[in-house]
Amino acid sequence: MALDLPFSLQLHTDLPGHEDCAWQVAWNPAKPLLASCSADKSVRLYSYRKDPYDPSKLSFSYLTTIQTGHKKTVRSVAWAPSGKSLATASFDANSAIWEKSEASEDGEDPSESEEWECVGLLEGHENECKSVAFSGTGTLIATCSRDKSVWVWEVNPDAEYECINVMMDHSQDVKCISWHPTEEILASASYDDTIKLYIDDPDEDWFCFATLSGHVGTVWSLAWAPRGDYLASSSDDLTIRIWRRTAKHAWEFAHQLKGHTRSIYSISWGTGKGDNLGWIASTGSDGKINVWEISSPQRDGARATLSSRLVASVSSAHGVYDVNSVQWCPRSGLEELLATTADDGSVRIWRLSSTALVS
Amino acid sequence: SSRKSRFEAGQSLWVDDDDYDDEERSSHADVEPIDQDEIFELIRSISDPEHPNSLEELRVVSAEQIEVGDNHIVVEFTPTVPHCGMSTLIGLCIRVRLLRSLPPRFKVDIRVQPGSHQSELAVNKQLNDKERVAAALENPSIVETIEKCIETAESSRRV
Repeated sequence: MALDLPFSLQLHTDLPGHEDCAWQVAWNPAKPLLASCSADKSVRLYSYRKDPYDPSKLSFSYLTTIQTGHKKTVRSVAWAPSGKSLATASFDANSAIWEKSEASEDGEDPSESEEWECVGLLEGHENECKSVAFSGTGTLIATCSRDKSVWVWEVNPDAEYECINVMMDHSQDVKCISWHPTEEILASASYDDTIKLYIDDPDEDWFCFATLSGHVGTVWSLAWAPRGDYLASSSDDLTIRIWRRTAKHAWEFAHQLKGHTRSIYSISWGTGKGDNLGWIASTGSDGKINVWEISSPQRDGARATLSSRLVASVSSAHGVYDVNSVQWCPRSGLEELLATTADDGSVRIWRLSSTALVS
Repeated sequence: SSRKSRFEAGQSLWVDDDDYDDEERSSHADVEPIDQDEIFELIRSISDPEHPNSLEELRVVSAEQIEVGDNHIVVEFTPTVPHCGMSTLIGLCIRVRLLRSLPPRFKVDIRVQPGSHQSELAVNKQLNDKERVAAALENPSIVETIEKCIETAESSRRV
């Protein structure tokens, strides 16, 4: 590659398997598990462990397939912070919560065949559900749909799920929702080119307290900075925008990243390594994965200036296919691992390595 | 103008997408290089959803409105009237026809001719939103209509 970048993305493992386009991938935050969902209506689970022959590598193995029973594409998959529950959102307008059945939970060996059962069905959207996510504490779930609404659900102890609020602030499809990592702030991104932020008013309902405008195309994906002081968004307009928190409930545009030639479907903000704000990985219809290092080098008056540099890039990450999802591994010690899914139905694991070490 | 296509109306039923014809897709995979005329050949005989004519006969599509780049194709089409409610459906037919016929390395963008439709931006946005297209192709009534419209293109091709 002509670019002289400090890091490179090495393909670590290719996990083919879905019979149709794979839309999203999600690392379990607590256990060595990875889930992917697909237009083939299934979720595939993979486990990983240290390779017994090469401890510097991980060995990934296929664990099981959840035949979800969704009647259409499973568009989104998300883990609860505990790692025990998995949520799916489907074009059939429903979302579902899955847990390992007790019988298989007793098994000592995680590689033994395991059964996942549906413990809750979140019904109510009028048409395609596009995204589902658990809040940082796992007590709330959000879903969104082409019906322009965002729903907040309460997780009750006995696995009862109750919709506590419906927000109708967007004028078009809601493509993605994402919870702040530690606070109960919800963000949504839409086909109407905007991002909206919501909080709970203890005396009233959840409400939209801010609208972030600036993108000039559908906003596909959202990613909070690990510390929650920034929010990144990616769009059809071929840009990634970073929004800065300026007060408890005030956000403003801070920075823009450019480096894709077609729609940017997915971004993920990892902790990275070292003294900076972490790494943003981005991918999309151009088949490219970019990794940007984000830092805040000096104070410019009262405002911290944000700077970014492209540190790694790989083209044709899944051959000729669109890449639909990218996610950093959230587990400690594995910060340099990325997972992607694409229209070829596969999941790929990538490792970010320093180019100096590789050559 | 207020008439919405069934796609826009958002009917949401179930369809199995086994209908995808991988065989046909791969049988054309060896054809190269692909030029403007080849693309036009694939879409000229698609039937209009409302008229007994082909898109070529209605001058909705023409070879001049097709741009072929390296792995990128842009198809522009001209709705018969500026308030044509069938525009998204026509665009979907063109997209499905090309999806099934071309090797997967091609990225396809479909747009209405600038100034030819009163909701130009909305139509273009919808036709190039991958997620909306995928959802539309899981809707049996939309798929049924598309199949009818592109049947004429597929049969003329086979002969």
